[in-house]
Amino acid sequence: MSTTTAPADTQQALALDVRDLTVHYGRRSRRKPVPPAVDGVSFSIAPGETIGLVGESGSGKSTIGKAVLGLQSATGGSISFFGDDITHAAPARRRALAAQLRVVFQDPYSSLNPAMTIGETLAEPLRLMGVGKAEAARRARTALERVGLPASAAERRPRQFSGGQRQRIAVARALVCDPKVVVCDEPVSALDLSTQAQVLNLLADLRDERGLSYLFVAHDLAVVRFLAQRVVVLYRGQVMETGAAAAVVEQPRHPYTRALTAAAPVPRPAEQAARRAAREAMGIGAAGLGTPSAAGCPFASRCPLATDVCRAERPALRRVGDSDVACHHATD
Amino acid sequence: MSEYLQAKPAQQLLEPPEHTATEASQPARHQLPRLLRRPGGIFGLGWLALLVVLSLTASWWIPYGTNDQQLSAALQGPSAQHWLGTDELGRDLLSRIFAAGASTLGASLLTVAVAYAIAVPLALVAAERGGHTETVISRTTEIMMALPGTVIILAFIGVFGVDTVLIMTVLGVLISSGMYRVLLGVARSLREQLYVDAARVNGLGSWRVNLRHVLPGMRTVLAVQAALLFGIGLLIQSGLAFMGFGPKPPAPSWGAMIGTASQHIYDAPWLMVPSGLVLSLTVIAANLVADALTDPEEAPRTARRAGKRAGGAAAGPAEPDGSGVLDVRDLTVAVDDGPVLVSGVSFRVEPGRVLGLVGESGCGKTMTALAALGLLPAGVAVTGGALHWQGRDLAYLDERHLRPVRGREIAYVSQEPMVALDPMFSVAYQLTGPLRRLRGLSRAEARDGAVSLLKRVGIVDPQAVMRSYPHQLSGGMAQRVAIALALTGGPKLLVADEPTTALDVTVQAEILSLLRSLVSQSGTSVVIVTHDLGVVADLCDDVAVMYAGEIVESGTVTEVLDAPRHPYTKALLGANPHAGETVTPSHRLTAIPGQVPAPGSWPQGCRFRDRCLYATDACGQPVALEAADRGGTVRCVRATELAVAAAHPDERTPA
Amino acid sequence: MTRFLARRAAMAVLTLLAVIVLTFALVHSIPGSPGAVMLGPGASAQEIHAQNELLGWNQPLAVQFWDWITHAVRGDLGTSLTGGNEVGPDLASRLPVTAAIAFGATALSGVLGIVSGVVAAVRGGLVDRFITAFSGIVVSLPTFWLGILLVYIASIRLGWLPATGYTPFTDSPVDWAKSLALPVLSLAIGGAALVARQARASMVEALGQEHIRTLRATGIPPWRLLYVHALRNASVPVVAGLGMQFVGLFGSTVIVEQIFALPGLGQVAQAAVTSHDFPSVQGVVIIATVVVVVTNVALDVLISALNPKLRAA
Repeated sequence: MSTTTAPADTQQALALDVRDLTVHYGRRSRRKPVPPAVDGVSFSIAPGETIGLVGESGSGKSTIGKAVLGLQSATGGSISFFGDDITHAAPARRRALAAQLRVVFQDPYSSLNPAMTIGETLAEPLRLMGVGKAEAARRARTALERVGLPASAAERRPRQFSGGQRQRIAVARALVCDPKVVVCDEPVSALDLSTQAQVLNLLADLRDERGLSYLFVAHDLAVVRFLAQRVVVLYRGQVMETGAAAAVVEQPRHPYTRALTAAAPVPRPAEQAARRAAREAMGIGAAGLGTPSAAGCPFASRCPLATDVCRAERPALRRVGDSDVACHHATD
Repeated sequence: MSEYLQAKPAQQLLEPPEHTATEASQPARHQLPRLLRRPGGIFGLGWLALLVVLSLTASWWIPYGTNDQQLSAALQGPSAQHWLGTDELGRDLLSRIFAAGASTLGASLLTVAVAYAIAVPLALVAAERGGHTETVISRTTEIMMALPGTVIILAFIGVFGVDTVLIMTVLGVLISSGMYRVLLGVARSLREQLYVDAARVNGLGSWRVNLRHVLPGMRTVLAVQAALLFGIGLLIQSGLAFMGFGPKPPAPSWGAMIGTASQHIYDAPWLMVPSGLVLSLTVIAANLVADALTDPEEAPRTARRAGKRAGGAAAGPAEPDGSGVLDVRDLTVAVDDGPVLVSGVSFRVEPGRVLGLVGESGCGKTMTALAALGLLPAGVAVTGGALHWQGRDLAYLDERHLRPVRGREIAYVSQEPMVALDPMFSVAYQLTGPLRRLRGLSRAEARDGAVSLLKRVGIVDPQAVMRSYPHQLSGGMAQRVAIALALTGGPKLLVADEPTTALDVTVQAEILSLLRSLVSQSGTSVVIVTHDLGVVADLCDDVAVMYAGEIVESGTVTEVLDAPRHPYTKALLGANPHAGETVTPSHRLTAIPGQVPAPGSWPQGCRFRDRCLYATDACGQPVALEAADRGGTVRCVRATELAVAAAHPDERTPA
Repeated sequence: MTRFLARRAAMAVLTLLAVIVLTFALVHSIPGSPGAVMLGPGASAQEIHAQNELLGWNQPLAVQFWDWITHAVRGDLGTSLTGGNEVGPDLASRLPVTAAIAFGATALSGVLGIVSGVVAAVRGGLVDRFITAFSGIVVSLPTFWLGILLVYIASIRLGWLPATGYTPFTDSPVDWAKSLALPVLSLAIGGAALVARQARASMVEALGQEHIRTLRATGIPPWRLLYVHALRNASVPVVAGLGMQFVGLFGSTVIVEQIFALPGLGQVAQAAVTSHDFPSVQGVVIIATVVVVVTNVALDVLISALNPKLRAA
């Protein structure tokens, strides 16, 4: 299976390299074989680069993030962090990794321990790294100020903050120990539009300032487009299309990517009417229509282009235009 | 309601807010104060404390030895010499009761300790590992829970004799299985909290994750269950002593004292009072403490809130005019004795038109929509204005008069399709019921009607869906069924509260297409609540932008979205990553500083002025909703001025 | 549904097996021996040994265990060490008394508890607060104390019902009912309070669910909303709670039978425990377990019929 790789000059020091990642949830039962949540996904991130993982619910995008963070064990494939295989890293290795590989979760309400002060939450990773108490507190306050909150917020508890402020705190927790890669798991999808923009701008600034790499997981292509240089589009655990963000969003090649971009409404009535007409003309099957065969393309049951080969044979990623597309029928 | 609770203003950063959406799930930080805020808690804690002190110090103060017999004074009632009377051997009851206290309470605590020593580690391990480990532990505890506890304890006594430590330990072991079930649920939900994942990402080891992040969250439950368990321990211990399986006579025990009382019920009924009362009070106290620690769930009284609205009496002309126009005038909605949530909202929905109520969380759009159905949450009511519909004012109709309106004239589609349908009934049942009721169809006709409704909402295999239960449907399918349910009464107006927010974007597009075709086919008018301006552009004819409980701008979608006049609308469009035609990573999104102020803390004058880039001193005065230059209305003193400036794109984002 | 029930049935068999092993282990882990118990304190060591030999006590454990099981399956639970009578038939003759009390108390507490719990949840306000507070107190009262109190009030003071004693159903159904009224009541009062609290909580939860709003939006009549939809949603936890209730009440009959001098299993249990009559103790434990296990299976059938998610599984 072909893969997206970072530009050649950064090849030797990939921040994150995911190869053929497969994740099965739960016990495998002989009665009903459950399809894997993540099915042979490969991608890599160069230092300072942002990759967007896009897909709808059940696409496996969050599972990939969890596998990278070691929160979900991989069934197959490998994950490397700056050349180091961390797929099944031992707890001690994970602890060492914790400073460099951080996370911002989706839900700002449950991602902060309500019983701990913000200062305690931010200091926790530092203390584990062996940073002294006073130094950890100082760095926590610095991080808070960097995300636009008063240093005095360190003494308060999560419930005294709004959703957007909590998400800033979560960003501060990710930053507090100078990471190299941050996994952002739907960091703005629980926020209101105006707050969402604040957090997205903050993430963009921090990346530019510190040369961070983001693994940015989201369901919204437009949000991903704002931050990511490259995009991986997932459907039912498989990569459908991948390539430069501009190419994937503006000239989607895979029928699923097209369905996804066409479905997102834009707030301009005339343009939206045209888009809707175009979408309805595409003839995409309703979600949940039919069960895709394990052997073929997962999107075949909804795809307007589907033929027998799509139901029988799983398409490999191949170059179409500027992107890599897993489709038997995609053309320029 | 949650929308209101989530909104937190910036200035509240400095003072603890009263509620937050997650407060219920938080462990009690201030357990003791809350415990002492309730009368039951005070009494329970007070009695237990008194009992412990009196029991531990009993040897110093009790007036008689526990075995001091005085046969001449046997079976007496309370007197100056014997405050609580005497037993059949003339022993002082007060002395015996408190002399037995320490060992009785201690034995119960032993049960609690044993149960916790087993249940807490097992629950933590099972919640952490899941899979096989959890299955094995859970199955084993299921077997233990199915054991007849009392009889097993009797068997132990039969074999090993009366050994209080052994008995209470066995009881603890038996009860630990039930405790495990309770704690497992809590531990599991705590482990689902993202802060546990965050701690694991920090590199915190499994032990420390449990100690620092999981166990503290279980404090309240642990305290509640300990109190309940303590009471159960007391009851079983005393019950055994009552049957003669307690401390060997003449050593005193509460159960045995009640046992003695049961033999003297004819000649000395008083005897059962002191010991029985002390035992009962102690168990009651333990249960009261447990109750006081638990958040009480208020009974909602949903169906009986008739007449609670302001004004109460039904007003307005009773003659339905059949026009199908919803005319909302100066609607005000407020929390009972609390902040105003919606103030002075007016709009008009003509037949066949689709109105979008758009805004962020906490702007009152959902409350506005629910008011039209009289479905405001308990504790929230219309306090002013009017909702004219078919010649009636819905704001002042009581429950009985609203019922014929709901379903038949105005129908509702909710945000969460997966929970909008009753999980206990099949789709067929849920559709045929309203069809028979609202359209007077026979059973067979209703079935056919349901099938054709399902076809109408785009369900390909209606027969299969009819047989399904809600948990068997996907989100999109469930929303189609929910829309079919809303159509059962052939309504003239559909109120849809964020009907696509919980759905995937491709499913959202399908549902929007469905709504659009329903409107064009049936001429139903729609009020749709959404936070997504793209949804408005797709579906709506008219739009009203709400901010902090009031409408700040309204008009047709082209007027408002293509030529926004209010700075808030402009900012919303600027913050929307879908809006920019050529958003590239180098661009920044137009963020609105701060956040929506919570109800009760709206600024004077223009409510947006604290966040507005264009605010001037004039914005401190109340601003009226006025006609905008391009049609529609806008609530901004600088609207005209800014409209002119908008011609110059350079000034799009002034610092 | 069949998978769920098959699993539960397997659990039931396992439970029974666990109890058999437990009691067997208990009986064999004591310092004394059945011979010593039968012959009393005056017997010599030789006599005791001979008696134990007769009872098979000196055989290997596995042989004894197998022996016991094969007999138990045929309803032979051994011979009482103190009375010399067959344990199985003796217990079988007493089971109806205990079962009548336990079933009666479960039924009564179920009806009283569900009605008051639902009323509390539906009416809310003062009614709710009163029922909640009252049930909170009643649930804490010790059964045996309540029993004595009832005897004092209903039979000594008012003379309505007999204080103690049992009249078989076949002798006089009316007197049978009268003789069981107080025992059932003393168990049911606390039970009803427990059921009421649970029914209230389940009903409040059911009424707080989102689909209630959807239903109200269809203009559904209130009685249908409350007593078809909300009650149906509350039924699963309430029925499960009633099952646990039965198990608990079955155990509590031991005490009640003592207070009211009823010839049930509890009476045997108490006597057997006092005199270390192991076969009888073992028999009571096994019968109690069978009752509990059978109840649980019946309950699982009922719950899986009530809950569509289990029905489909």
